[in-house]
Amino acid sequence: MMLPYSIDRIYLDEKSEKDWVTEKILQALSHLPVERIRGKRDLIKKFLSMPDPMGIGKRHLLITRGYGKRLKRCPGTSYHLCCGYYVINTMTNCPMDCSYCVLQEYLNNPLLTLYSNIDDLFQEITLFLSKRDQALVRLGTGELSDSLALESIFPISQFLIPFFAEREEGILELKTKSANVDSILHLNHRERTVISWSLNPPRIIEEEEKGTASWEERLEAAQKCQRQGYPLGFHFDPILVDEGWERAYEETIHSLFKAIEPRRVVWVSLGGFRYPPDLKKIVEERFPKTRIFLGELFPGKDLKIRYLKEIRVEVYRKMVRWLKEVDPDLFIYFCMESQEVWERVFGWAPEDSRDLNQMFGEKLRKFLRKG
Amino acid sequence: MIEMKPIQTIPLKKIDLFDETFSVNFRPDLQNLRSSIREVGLIQPVLLREKGEGYQIISGFRRISVLNELGVFEVSSRLFEKNEKDESQLFSLCLHENVTTRGLNSVEKAIALQKLIDLFKVEPSVVIQTYLPLFHLEPNEKILNTYLSLAQMEDEVKEFVIKEEVSRSNIRKLSALPQEDRKVLIPFLLSLRLGENRLREILTLLDEVSRRNRKKIREIIDRSEIQTILSREELTPSQKTEQVKRFLLELRYPRMTELERDFERRRKNLKLPSNISLSHSPYFEGRQWRIEFRFEKIEDYHSIISFLSQLKERKEFEELLTPPQ
Repeated sequence: MMLPYSIDRIYLDEKSEKDWVTEKILQALSHLPVERIRGKRDLIKKFLSMPDPMGIGKRHLLITRGYGKRLKRCPGTSYHLCCGYYVINTMTNCPMDCSYCVLQEYLNNPLLTLYSNIDDLFQEITLFLSKRDQALVRLGTGELSDSLALESIFPISQFLIPFFAEREEGILELKTKSANVDSILHLNHRERTVISWSLNPPRIIEEEEKGTASWEERLEAAQKCQRQGYPLGFHFDPILVDEGWERAYEETIHSLFKAIEPRRVVWVSLGGFRYPPDLKKIVEERFPKTRIFLGELFPGKDLKIRYLKEIRVEVYRKMVRWLKEVDPDLFIYFCMESQEVWERVFGWAPEDSRDLNQMFGEKLRKFLRKG
Repeated sequence: MIEMKPIQTIPLKKIDLFDETFSVNFRPDLQNLRSSIREVGLIQPVLLREKGEGYQIISGFRRISVLNELGVFEVSSRLFEKNEKDESQLFSLCLHENVTTRGLNSVEKAIALQKLIDLFKVEPSVVIQTYLPLFHLEPNEKILNTYLSLAQMEDEVKEFVIKEEVSRSNIRKLSALPQEDRKVLIPFLLSLRLGENRLREILTLLDEVSRRNRKKIREIIDRSEIQTILSREELTPSQKTEQVKRFLLELRYPRMTELERDFERRRKNLKLPSNISLSHSPYFEGRQWRIEFRFEKIEDYHSIISFLSQLKERKEFEELLTPPQ
């Protein structure tokens, strides 16, 4: 199978050899050389010592088993409102190469790593959901990787979607910058899976989101999912403020909702570009021409660097206005923003992260009732 | 291991002084060497290779230059036959000799690395593994590329790099600029006399302002505001640096500058006594304000408290606390 990403070699941890998904991956990538390894520590160490670990790591696939908890609460960030999301780590790193991606700084293992003990993961999710109370919990696989980029070789979403379709306690979100939806279109999702896209204006996609699907491809994929009745989500995150940003984002919103029915959109998130201080050096080495750091960005209370608050407020107000012009009922939220910014943009703010989480629950139930 | 040759005396006139194949010299300072040769003569013989009817210098360019200048006719030498060794081996010998005697400055290291690759066709991987450690540098591609970029820059930049002992990260910043920008930049930087950190700050600001505003660096330096600062003779270089930096920060962060000015205006409207200071949250990120005061006597304390308690009644104070719309 030909992938749109270039992968040079597969490293297969011997502990993964007998897992059923390993066979599927090896079949799908039968043209690639496979090197069997015992344990991954030395391999990771070797890659970390290379000049561009993350760039090289994206071209080398590691199939291994994931130990420890793989379903975790989204770490969020201190002093800011977080939405109570849970992340499912089916793989780490991503074959796409966005200049702003925090994984470049965050991951200790630079290889594109697929965890083959999927049955363990499903058990973990089952146990987690069985302990939930009434609140509808949101979980997603798109935090440490792209949810659908490797679906053709690592078909995990095809199992997660029917799994969540049978459950009442949780909603799965598959977040992607790809257009790889064909293999999930026919599945019975029972509206328990939200397919969402991270969006930016086409110029930013071309300049800063290497290896991702184009704007048109993402839109076409979203339309296909809409036709199959999937709830949709869109994330304008990270919003990048550069000259001409207003026109670019306004046009992007208009063009999105020309193709997508707003009533099928369960949430839209907004988040200005933010990054941990150590990311800049890595990105400047890997993407010397990037313009992402040329905005007015300053350290916040959580030590992450963000656009000046006045700029964020202005950007969010405009984005919210353009979105509400499309449909006043769109559910818009901020990712990792302060209460003050919520208040200044919306005129109100969730009391705390729990309050925001509850708000999500209500919106979701309303959406599901509407059908 | 290269076999050492016996020492022979060679007439200077038989040496091709213009053949710089093996030279890595850049702006050599011959003062000490000249004094030493005058005082005690040549201690270490030079290395030569047969070339036509005469000789080519492998190592000892500076010594031969001084001897020539002093009117000496002969030089103690170790001689290699024409095809005895390949050129890369001889260059390696030259580098070893230089590194273990006088040492090489960063430009000379750059010239040596460039010659190894371009002239003597040594594989970059061999240069990284063998020659970078010889120059006490970490063996990696990034460092090799930094030095290769230095070798390609103009002599003015190379002189600046040596004079100011510019770090590798700043060399990389300089090499990323167009030649026309560097031409204007070097005299500008020399007039400020910056330390390593200030140099990095100024280069980063210039680069970011240039890319952000899509202006060439030379256009930024040519701005009247900067030229006025540079022309003010009453300012010391470090005062000029501070003022230039402040101006560049204004260009780089216009909204922040506007907010700071607005805050300053509102703060002044409060007419705070000199022993009370008021500041906003760092980078205006939070909603907190900070008031500090100093006092010596109890009367001062009372007057401060009285001033502060009246603040809440004043519209200027309310205006200051209200976020801009």
